[in-house]
Amino acid sequence: MPKVYNWQIGREMDYPYEGARPTKQFAMLFDTNKCIACQTCTVACKTTWTPGRGQEYMFWNNVETKPYGYYPLGWDVKILEQHGVQDVSGPVYKGKTLFESAPSGERILGYLPEDLDYAHPNVGEDDSLGDMQQGELLQIPHMQWMYYLPRICNHCTYPACLASCPRMSIYKREEDGIVLLDQTRCRGYRECVKGCPYKKTFFNPITRVSEKCIGCYPAVEGGRQTQCTITCIGKIRLQGFLGKPDAIREDNPIDYIVHVAKIACPLYPQFGLEPNTYYIPPVHVPPRYLVQMFGVGVERAVAGYRKVADDEKLLGALLLFGATPMIIHHYKVEAGVSIGYDEQGAELVRVPLSEAIHVRPAFDEKHQAYRTNIT
Amino acid sequence: MTTRRRTRLALAAAALLLAASEAGAQVTELRVVRVREEGPFRDPAAAFWKEAPTTAVTLLPQAMTLPNNLKPAVQSLQVRGVHDGEWIAFLLEWPDTTKSDRIVVDQFGDKVAIEFPAEFKKDALPSPMMGNPGGRVEIWQWRAPFQQDLERGRPQVASDLYPNAHVDVYPDELLRAIDARPYMGAVGVDNLITRADKSPVLEQIAEGWGSLTIQPDDQQADGKGEWADGGWRVVMTHPLVGGETDVRFAPGGETAVAFAVWDGGSREAGPRKSWSTWAAVKLAE
Repeated sequence: MPKVYNWQIGREMDYPYEGARPTKQFAMLFDTNKCIACQTCTVACKTTWTPGRGQEYMFWNNVETKPYGYYPLGWDVKILEQHGVQDVSGPVYKGKTLFESAPSGERILGYLPEDLDYAHPNVGEDDSLGDMQQGELLQIPHMQWMYYLPRICNHCTYPACLASCPRMSIYKREEDGIVLLDQTRCRGYRECVKGCPYKKTFFNPITRVSEKCIGCYPAVEGGRQTQCTITCIGKIRLQGFLGKPDAIREDNPIDYIVHVAKIACPLYPQFGLEPNTYYIPPVHVPPRYLVQMFGVGVERAVAGYRKVADDEKLLGALLLFGATPMIIHHYKVEAGVSIGYDEQGAELVRVPLSEAIHVRPAFDEKHQAYRTNIT
Repeated sequence: MTTRRRTRLALAAAALLLAASEAGAQVTELRVVRVREEGPFRDPAAAFWKEAPTTAVTLLPQAMTLPNNLKPAVQSLQVRGVHDGEWIAFLLEWPDTTKSDRIVVDQFGDKVAIEFPAEFKKDALPSPMMGNPGGRVEIWQWRAPFQQDLERGRPQVASDLYPNAHVDVYPDELLRAIDARPYMGAVGVDNLITRADKSPVLEQIAEGWGSLTIQPDDQQADGKGEWADGGWRVVMTHPLVGGETDVRFAPGGETAVAFAVWDGGSREAGPRKSWSTWAAVKLAE
């Protein structure tokens, strides 16, 4: 089996195909500290792409509460249990990836969810780990905690869905790294549904073939960010392109956050797919849980996020989240303003690093009236 | 596995089979008798099937490519063949305690396939495992869910698949048909795997694993399957001489045939199947 390099686990690994990184890699950043699980992203995706027959319980984008929320039911704990305890302690992963754990007769370690697993997309919503006892005060990290995990297809560098398909119906686009499932070629074997550990390929019982997140490619081709990103009311997302690990650009906000500041981490990097959605981890959650979910870089990410005020460039990159519907390819911070540019270098947006302060005196001289704070 | 490696394996397997036949190993022979009834033959319960001898075909697990299932549910098929000078038909029977024709994510359909070399050359057969590059095969595949589509109509979400479901509205109820197509996935792009059109049998070609292709303009195979008494009886029929690129049969002639079965109840689909090697087929005058 060919060897490919996976920078997230710091080593080469087995993959059924030769490694070939796309020219540009679709990527998305999520600030989990800002997500309130309003599901506006979920609805935006649903109404845009999956309102059809057989897609009733299909959510290419979903937001689940961790630790007890899952869509489909138990997706991560089930594959983690099958995967077994792995050594995730060092920068070079010493455990096995899911490809390296493939049982005899299989291309990857996986499981096929049950139909009913998809029937409870809001299971565990807002459930926290344990109860607060009388007289207890929350400390950081919290003793009792929960947080929201928004998820789309990871458009992995080494997709398990693509590797699992015996018909090669799934392909990764050279121009933007988006992973697509050919609707004319698929015959509904469900190997991709079984193989994807994130369970982001879905079976449609009406069309009898599988479907998945398309990374809003018609928008992305036009220089526009995905529906789930531009509709996010909390401005928790930024979608753009991630540079190759040996060709990172500091003026690309995604590269800066992931590769330079290193405050965003991949989801379950130990699976070995090199997923391309990156999470700024929740600062209040115990690191032991976070390390399993986001890898060894997570403690450094939390520390870096806490010191964002000291890094003007990082602050500037974070302020571009939700600032424009267009894809930001370059940015710079100048005179207290973060400026985003498109691929051709045209200015898209300017965001001040700190907002101007307006002081409204309690007595309004012009109207000779006292202002009342009605909130 | 790379394509090159697959091809090598397929060719190696084909060579082994040829070597076995040259060494005088027992090769299954299927005799197709001529009947007075006229085709197309679609009735698995017709009386004329008794005129045809039954050949037991041994099925092996598909173990050459990934993924696979080394303990497939079906290990043998009972096969009979008839023709009337215009149409040829095969009756395939196998035990199956579960009738699987409902498809949702964790439920798969029962299926059976017959394979012929696209061009029969006795000393240069393609790989029985779906052919090989340059060695084209024709595959007719009967699908239990297609049979269900034809008999009871295509299943709908709220009325068939999930009887208690309630759905407000679908795009195709609001939009013109052409505008609704993008919301219909594989149905919107006319992927023929999505539903039975007129026949429960798909006519397809292949030149190796992963290359199985439905030819939309060449769908002459027809048939019918009936599940009763813990088993399937499936007929597949086709004109002796079909389209220009079709496999051709002639009274008194011969070709090779191979079979594959998928048991839906055991979640068999795609490469997870049991299959046979080539058997000889001889048509009566």
